Amino acid sequence: MKEKTDVLQGTLALMVLKTLDVLGSLHGYGIARRIEQISGDLLTVNQGTLYPVLLKLEQEGSIQSEWGVSENNRKARFYRLTRVGRKQLQAEARGWEQTAAIMGRFFAVKAEDLQ
Amino acid sequence: MRSLRRFFKRLVSWSTKRRDEARLQEEIEEHLALQTGDYIQAGLSPSEAQRQAVLKFGAIEAIREDYRERSGLPFLETLIQDVRYALRRLRNSPAFAVTTTLTLALGIGATTSIFTLVHAVLLKSLVVTKPGDLYRLGKESLCCYHGGYAQDKGFTLVSYDLYKKFRDNTDGFSELAAFQASSPDFGVRRAGSNQSAQSFPGEFVSGNYFLMFGISPSAGRLFTSEDDRPGAPPVAVMSYRLWQQRYGTNPSVVGSVFDIDMKPFLVVGITPPAFFGDRLRDNPPDFFLPLNTEPYLEANPDLNEYDTHWLDLIGRIRPGANPTSIEAQMRLELKQWLRSHWKEMSAAERAKFPAQTLFLTPGGAGITSMREEYEHWLNILIMVSGFVLLIVCANVANLMLVRAMERRRQTALSMALGAQARRVVRQALTQSLLLSLFGGLAGLVIAFVGTSLILYFAFPSTTGAPAIPIDASPSMPVLLFAFGISVITGLVFGIAPAWLATRVDPIEALRGAGRSTVRTGSWTRKTLVICQTALSLVLLSAAGLLTAALAHLETQDFGFEQARRTVAMMSPQLAGYQPPQLSPLYRRIRDAVSGIPGVSAVALCKYSPLEGNNWGSDVWLEGHPPPGPNEDNSASRDRVTAGYFEVIGNSLLKGRGITERDTDAAPHVAVINEAFARKFFHGADPIGKHFGRDGMGSHQYEIVGVARDARYFASDLGKSVTPMFFLPEEQLDLNPKTAQPTIDSSHFLNDIVIVTRQGASLSSARLSEALASVDPNLPLILVHTMQEQVAFQFNQQTLIARLTSFFGVLSLVLASVGLYGVTAYNAGRRVNEIGVRIALGANRSQVVALILKGSFGLILLGLFIGLPLTFAVGHFLGHQLYGLSPYNVPVAGFAVVVLGSSAFLAALIPAFRASSISPLEALRAE
Repeated sequence: MKEKTDVLQGTLALMVLKTLDVLGSLHGYGIARRIEQISGDLLTVNQGTLYPVLLKLEQEGSIQSEWGVSENNRKARFYRLTRVGRKQLQAEARGWEQTAAIMGRFFAVKAEDLQ
Repeated sequence: MRSLRRFFKRLVSWSTKRRDEARLQEEIEEHLALQTGDYIQAGLSPSEAQRQAVLKFGAIEAIREDYRERSGLPFLETLIQDVRYALRRLRNSPAFAVTTTLTLALGIGATTSIFTLVHAVLLKSLVVTKPGDLYRLGKESLCCYHGGYAQDKGFTLVSYDLYKKFRDNTDGFSELAAFQASSPDFGVRRAGSNQSAQSFPGEFVSGNYFLMFGISPSAGRLFTSEDDRPGAPPVAVMSYRLWQQRYGTNPSVVGSVFDIDMKPFLVVGITPPAFFGDRLRDNPPDFFLPLNTEPYLEANPDLNEYDTHWLDLIGRIRPGANPTSIEAQMRLELKQWLRSHWKEMSAAERAKFPAQTLFLTPGGAGITSMREEYEHWLNILIMVSGFVLLIVCANVANLMLVRAMERRRQTALSMALGAQARRVVRQALTQSLLLSLFGGLAGLVIAFVGTSLILYFAFPSTTGAPAIPIDASPSMPVLLFAFGISVITGLVFGIAPAWLATRVDPIEALRGAGRSTVRTGSWTRKTLVICQTALSLVLLSAAGLLTAALAHLETQDFGFEQARRTVAMMSPQLAGYQPPQLSPLYRRIRDAVSGIPGVSAVALCKYSPLEGNNWGSDVWLEGHPPPGPNEDNSASRDRVTAGYFEVIGNSLLKGRGITERDTDAAPHVAVINEAFARKFFHGADPIGKHFGRDGMGSHQYEIVGVARDARYFASDLGKSVTPMFFLPEEQLDLNPKTAQPTIDSSHFLNDIVIVTRQGASLSSARLSEALASVDPNLPLILVHTMQEQVAFQFNQQTLIARLTSFFGVLSLVLASVGLYGVTAYNAGRRVNEIGVRIALGANRSQVVALILKGSFGLILLGLFIGLPLTFAVGHFLGHQLYGLSPYNVPVAGFAVVVLGSSAFLAALIPAFRASSISPLEALRAE
């Protein structure tokens, strides 16, 4: 149970970084919508879990936030990727790609390939 | 790096917590509003849109909790919460808080107080620049003179000539300093003052002594090598201690002249406050004098005697120099020096030449004579105080357990409501640590008082100032120690209750308290009681052994009379007397003191019995070859006036004592003791035989009497008495080469032994008057009774025995209280059962027996475990028992009986209380 949320949070943080990298400055709801659109139902149940992750990323200096005005003219907090965050994203993306590539190769292996 | 950054951000946001929560609130509202808007656009009704938005967001409270945990420092917050909670609980039960704190304070205070001493005596370096760069000559400390060209344990003491050889030829030292191994008393008077001279300890040191230590003066200047050459104007450096205590740090002291043993010296400076010389000792030197003023001051100077070794060496090595290669070089220099004195060496010394060597050892702590002397005592005290601390821990743990038991229901309830086990343990531990820190704080006060008292009793001061430069107030290392020991104590006694707290079954909360059949923790408490009993048995029997050993020491037959004897100490040297004036002076003193009403007899001597000092000589028997190099032919000598043996009450077994007839013109005689006769004559009649001191011929003295063995030094207590010979004061030894009379300082007698008549008393004022009538300049150093002189020798033993007894009684009380607590608690838990039993017809004594049976089992088990331990401790005490067997059955038996009976009493009270319960009440109580 606990392990599953941990993995989720790790990937969630990476998703947040990637979203901000692509779309620039965005408020929390916007980030949630994008992730939902791209990842399907990963965030449909617990959108709120995004906020502790945002806080952690901000504490680590990967993102910055400031108050701004949302599209329906309400006060909203906008998040933006920092230089540190961009570097972190690159490093972690590379790690993910490697892992994915390795796993992909493993899954592609057929019995006859090993004989 | 990132986590550090996050920590600081958290620290900041912890302090701005409220703002963070407000921000989250706003963000949530915004999020929900946007989501609701989207849903409405998608065609949902506003209320359904709102509902769906909230559903999709997830559990708001859980997220808020998560957010809060990440934004602040939960560890710090819980800690503060726990501390607040623990304080509140302690405030609610002040009796418990005070008792526990005091118990802990006793344990921690005792341990800290002993540690203060251990730190000062065993661990601390001298307060000088870079003590790690200092190296000293020799592995152990020798006192105070060594003659000849061979030192069996490696050269430790050196002569001035040998010092110069080392100083001038060893490059590895940036400074190599020499200083006197002993600390003589000087008669000192400020020039122009009309007060009589007073005696102060002093020390001859080389000119680079202070330079080598790298210290700077409080006032004036310290020595340079210019001050330490023949013919330099005589100068002195005063200790800060004396300057402060006697002259109130008056700057005019620097530059003024002081008469030291009647010779003028210019005081040029004051040592720094923390400096107490090259070694820790009671009565550290107050006057430092250059080595080259020694011939100016002393009648028989040692400075230019090549083969009189009286100096210790400490050197500061150059940066990067290797002590091992310096040592090798110095060994070479030693051999060269010995070779250059080949002609003066005796055959025996030449035979020992190849084996002569030396050792360099770390010298940052100075000359560690005190460490060698007290190490074993301190180890005993550490052990004893450690045991007390353990008992204290067991006791407090017991109290905590009882409290934890009483709170079981509450703990069970909180756990049923979802409290984490970790949190419950942390709460319990926080309370324990808090208590032990309070205990530690109070313990510091106890430690300060305790250390001051121990120092006061161990090193009685004659001037009112502390006689030993050990500071009782806690220093940084002591504070750290007290803190560390408090935390350890807190963990030790807190861990069991904390652990038990987690073993509470939440279901118990739902059952009624006391209905539970599980007795969690009762074995833990029983184990604690057993341990306490065993430990306190060990302490009690250690106390018993030490006290018995002391009693055995004090009541033994020392071979002389103590009753009606008074010893007065004076010093003709301090008053500037010259050797030819001595015998007439002694006669005048005897006449004057005999004239005091109530005095029946008077005699003078160099050393009186159990004064604690001695002068060893090598003996050469007539008709035997001169003693060989490895032959043990040592004996101690004393010089006495006529009637001495009668005055100290030492009976003569054969022949006669020293009488008025033994003048210089009469044949030179000696009285020996039994040990001397045994060692050198093996049962043959020694009367009429001759002997001499090695190097002075074998026909020096004719033995005219054999005295019963009387004890002169306390250092060999438990062993047989040292061989001794007594010489008449008036007879001067003849130099075998020149046949001229020689006077060594054994003729400067210090002790006046006075016998008073039955019922008469002797005031020191009358004594001073009598001495002043002989010579007003003659300082009376000390007056005490013979009993006091003897007791003084057992000062340390008395102190250790008393301290251990104190700790033993303390542990007894603690163990009894612990047992009382356990018995009372168990009896309390069995109220129902007892009620039923009484209702069914059990009588009082059966109930008492029921309760006692449980408790007594614990005591017996504790005694059973403790008994072998006590014998182990007896073995550890070993030679501190002075011949008393460490496997002392009466002492162990006594300890068992005392412990058993007080434990029995402690258990009896709650047992009686339990038996007086009325059955109706017991069944109703719930």
